Amino acid sequence: MRASFLKNNRGALFVGALLALQVAGSRASVDDAHSFALQAAEPYVKQGYQVREDYWGGDLGVGEKKAVRQQLFKGNEYWFWMGTEVEQAKISVHVYDSDGKIAEQPDSWQKGHFAASHLIPKTTGSYFIIVAVDSSPEERTHWALVYGFK
Amino acid sequence: MRFFFNTILVGSCLLGFCRAEAVTVETPKRIDVKRLSRTVEDVVVPLPNEIFGALNKLDEVNWKEFVRSNNNTNFTERPRIALLLGTEIADGFIAVQAEDAPTVKEIGQRVVYLAKGIGVGNSIVPHAKAITEAADQRNWQEVRQELDRTQNSVQEAMNEVHDEKLSQLVSLGGWLRGTQVLTAVVNRHFSADGAELLHQPDLLEYFQRKLANMPEFTVPILGQIRSSLVEVKPLIDVEKPISAASVKKINQITSGLDEQIVTRRK
Repeated sequence: MRASFLKNNRGALFVGALLALQVAGSRASVDDAHSFALQAAEPYVKQGYQVREDYWGGDLGVGEKKAVRQQLFKGNEYWFWMGTEVEQAKISVHVYDSDGKIAEQPDSWQKGHFAASHLIPKTTGSYFIIVAVDSSPEERTHWALVYGFK
Repeated sequence: MRFFFNTILVGSCLLGFCRAEAVTVETPKRIDVKRLSRTVEDVVVPLPNEIFGALNKLDEVNWKEFVRSNNNTNFTERPRIALLLGTEIADGFIAVQAEDAPTVKEIGQRVVYLAKGIGVGNSIVPHAKAITEAADQRNWQEVRQELDRTQNSVQEAMNEVHDEKLSQLVSLGGWLRGTQVLTAVVNRHFSADGAELLHQPDLLEYFQRKLANMPEFTVPILGQIRSSLVEVKPLIDVEKPISAASVKKINQITSGLDEQIVTRRK
């Protein structure tokens, strides 16, 4: 998933160098978004949540949504944390069950360039996590999503 | 992950701060998953201990029964090493469940050895050291986190050299060993809730897709895994509860595969 924004740019030297710079910049931003997502997760580590090393990331325009699908297990508790480095942006994350019904707990939250969704699965199976950029001064806003369980 | 713990901004303030805020954008109560399912991204493969943790909450499990070590099998074929590496990391999680520090440390060293066999050993030496230290302190939460970091570092190193397929085999090896142990536990003391943990059809399809995209790997074990997943799919992709007979069958299938993954055959 992380590789989705790391494209293989080769070609003429100059164009290649420009593209390489662009890719490096793109990666840096998603890496930044990742560190903000992890920052949102940090307090929960103290509550016993194991935060996964693997994560999803990319960029979205304002009003655009992205769905990721994840296997979750009844008996565990999950939090999904989203972050972006664009501090003026407003982002959101929500979790839906396989029928498309919202499944998150009421203590899920959204605050500017951080958002989080809390889930206690009623069944074991696939769930849809919908991430969105609700507002942003940037044309494209980098985002990252991490999850933890206990 | 580490630098996150070192970030200057204080996350603990964030939690209370954010909880006080109401969600201001209207959240749809329902979405059209049929439309979404065509655009969904790949799954993140759950860690074995994600399943073991859920299993632990259902019933007391004697994890010591499932601990194994002294697996000194070695292969030269890279796909086989990758599968075995995933299995070893899963065994590490089992040893953590059993709070067996010597085995955890042994597995840490074994993982480094296998990773070196596919050219990514250097990236995980620090993790193996951290595993040893955390196991000595019996800091099991840290060992679990470090095992995840180990797997992640191995896979990142593989992806960097365009060995994504081997990286997927590491995940597959771990998933198969996790499924074998899950079915062994549930088979011993059957419960519908325990069997429900096997309801992972999308994950199984994910592995089938990845395996279908590896024609260049000709080791027989991959063919056996492919045909075994075809057998397993109808047993777990069901609307009704997964039966005791299905759990037993899946255990037989995954145990057979595990034996072939960890054993060199003449």
